Amino acid sequence: MHYAYPSRKRHRAISGKPAVVLVTVFDDKIDNTVYINNIRENRMQYAEKHGYGTLLAKTSDYDLNGSPTSWAKVVAMRHAMTKYPDCKYMWFLDQNALIMNPHLKVEDYVMGANKLEAAMRKDIPVVPPDSIIKTFSHLRGNDVEFVLTQDKDGLSSTSFVIKNGEWAKFFLDTWFDPLYRSYNFQKAETHALEHIVQWHPTILSKLAIVPQHIINAYNNNGHGEQYKDGDIAVVFAHCSNVGEHSCAKEAERFSQQWRTSFSRA
Amino acid sequence: MMSRIYVPISVFACRQPLNLRTATEGTVNLAPVDSDNEVSSSSFSDRPAIAHRRRRSSAGSDSVPAPGNNRVPPLRLGQQAQYSQQTLSPIPGTPNFPMSLSRSPSPAPGGGWSSPGLNINSGRSSPAKASFSGPNGGSVTWESARLKSQGVTGYPSFSTHNQGFFTRHMRRISSSLPSFNVATDDRYAEKEKLGRGRWKIPLLGRIRAGITRMSRKWKIRAAIALLLLSCYILFYITPLWYYWRRTAWLGGGEKFVIILAANIGGGVMEWKGAREWAIERDSVRNKRKYVARWGYDLEIVDMSTKKRYAHEWRESWEKVDSIRNSFRKYPKAEWIWWLDLNTFVMEPSYSLQNHIFNNLEKHIYRDINEFNPLNISHPPQANYLDPESLSAVGDGNVDSVNLMLSQDCSGFNLGSFFIRRSEWTDRLLDIWWDPVAYEQKHMEWEHKEQDALEQLYINQPWIRSHTAFLPQRLINSFPNGACSDNGNDSRIHYNQADRDFVVNMAGCEWGRDCWGEMYNFRELSYYLNRNPWERFKEDLVAVIWEKLTGQKVKCAIGQLPSGPAITLIPAPVPGLDR
Repeated sequence: MHYAYPSRKRHRAISGKPAVVLVTVFDDKIDNTVYINNIRENRMQYAEKHGYGTLLAKTSDYDLNGSPTSWAKVVAMRHAMTKYPDCKYMWFLDQNALIMNPHLKVEDYVMGANKLEAAMRKDIPVVPPDSIIKTFSHLRGNDVEFVLTQDKDGLSSTSFVIKNGEWAKFFLDTWFDPLYRSYNFQKAETHALEHIVQWHPTILSKLAIVPQHIINAYNNNGHGEQYKDGDIAVVFAHCSNVGEHSCAKEAERFSQQWRTSFSRA
Repeated sequence: MMSRIYVPISVFACRQPLNLRTATEGTVNLAPVDSDNEVSSSSFSDRPAIAHRRRRSSAGSDSVPAPGNNRVPPLRLGQQAQYSQQTLSPIPGTPNFPMSLSRSPSPAPGGGWSSPGLNINSGRSSPAKASFSGPNGGSVTWESARLKSQGVTGYPSFSTHNQGFFTRHMRRISSSLPSFNVATDDRYAEKEKLGRGRWKIPLLGRIRAGITRMSRKWKIRAAIALLLLSCYILFYITPLWYYWRRTAWLGGGEKFVIILAANIGGGVMEWKGAREWAIERDSVRNKRKYVARWGYDLEIVDMSTKKRYAHEWRESWEKVDSIRNSFRKYPKAEWIWWLDLNTFVMEPSYSLQNHIFNNLEKHIYRDINEFNPLNISHPPQANYLDPESLSAVGDGNVDSVNLMLSQDCSGFNLGSFFIRRSEWTDRLLDIWWDPVAYEQKHMEWEHKEQDALEQLYINQPWIRSHTAFLPQRLINSFPNGACSDNGNDSRIHYNQADRDFVVNMAGCEWGRDCWGEMYNFRELSYYLNRNPWERFKEDLVAVIWEKLTGQKVKCAIGQLPSGPAITLIPAPVPGLDR
């Protein structure tokens, strides 16, 4: 008659080695190898400096079933979890971005519980300016699983950090659901993200929106907060592949800077 | 008041000669009359008598001034002493005790004694033998004290040694006799009026006496009988049995909650007819009995179409809200068992623990390829997925199962499924309904939330690795009418010989007779679960009687043929019976 439940399964302990995995997905269609190599080198040097793992993937690595290639970032994050099952955080940084400050560690500077609690923006509309869904006002730093930013247009998905674990699996699988990919959101995965954080409280309750300068400073203030010296990274927002404001041109302004600061450090 | 003060003296005088002696010595010293021993002894023998007199006379009006303490007023004592001296004077210098015995303590005529009662024992000649202390206890006490000091007897004069059956058992007998309550104290007179004339039976004393008289053999027999009786009461009469089965560390019943969906589509959409009411009544009663037997909780949810959901196109997804609410309402619940209204627990003697959960890993299958009517490709194939997601059986640990359902001929069936309290479950319940998915799929999703779950299972690997399936007939047998396209399927259809646990009359509202099926299964369940006495009556006595007389005996429970499992009442023409 006696019936005892087996003790609840504890999820596999994550040792935190490496602490962070850098995830960047490169677009195959860009044939500017100098630019791509510059970015790649930037990631590698930063990862090497802190002992982080890297997942530098190509969009063609994943079968997106006809969806816009920008969706590859979601599945690349899932891939990073598979490749580094013991990592603590995954940081996705867009291809068109450079890490500028080699001294800042993601696990402390961004994800440190106290820093995060101080930095997170509480009780603001998730999607500016007028969403009725607002970020949680009593979220503790340790409960945060997902850190991202807002720019002038809404949620930004060019730079975000996710904590490895069961929640991450759930979140990424949900985000990548074929029914969202087939829905033709105007901004594909970014709008899908805005949709799910507003409709699903189990996601909203785990996310923290932080000021852009922490992980997602832009190269100019046309779309969001502008990069200042000392910020961890600069993102070339809305740059194009060719022309006066091409991503490669924008990157040139910062290339010398990151190399000197990295060599000095 | 007066008598009260003197009572102690008399008590001392009677029962505690030594104490009395010292006390009287004190008083003697107060009397300045004589230093002679005999005088003192005589005065000593007198004074308790005074006390007695006063006590006795206290019933009437007492003319003697009340002394404030035990001492006799000196004046009076003086008188007495003087008097005693007079009477004693003929025998001076004879301090022999025997002499004092022969001396009469009674006062001489004209001595001023007002009470005639004193004289009753005053002429007593053998106080030494007295085991009974009379009113004139003084001399007796003194005498018994003397005898004691001489070692004549080891007992005080009123002796507690065994004097015979009655004396020995008087206290016990009297304590177990009914006592008649008579008001004795005037202070309580008013209150006692209420209880006047009532009998008080000292039950405890009587029982104790009974036990004492019982022999050892009978004590043991009685103890065994009492034990059996109390076991029977505890386990079959009192709710203890229920609590035993509920408690987490004994039966574990409180870990299970059954949600029964009632009133489907009622309310706004349609009126319920007599048959619908009957179905609901039988189904609810069946689950109530089941949870009462095993100590589970039952939550009956009203599934009537609500404006709230109708507005949001979310009919059928209120299942999600009901499950969430139940987890909140029953904080100790670990598993929720969802049951549709058209289900019947055929074997109430099966506990969920024994039937499923004690051997969960033996019953479930996590690889859907074992029975895959939807032809879902499993495990998922993708180069980015982790080994657990790519595995056909998740992590293979039974503890990671959070959802257990069964499949019928056309895929997932949510008429009977289990879901476990967990973060995983919170997430599933959260994303089960999504407007983007709904907008694209609602035309295809004939079974709404059931199809949505299939969709989630197919598309999202995190769901697969925590979902398991139970063979349909373990929790969700179908009647022959459902899934009947390919004839009878031993994986799907109810089999009486196997005593399937639950039957789900799925789809009976589409052209079949729900009430007829419910009625038949109810009767079958009763028939299969008759107790031995009913079996004896119906299977033996009734059959013999039929053979002998040729008359069929009507049984309380409809005699069902043992051949075909169910004879369905023909479905009525739709629309006619409402």
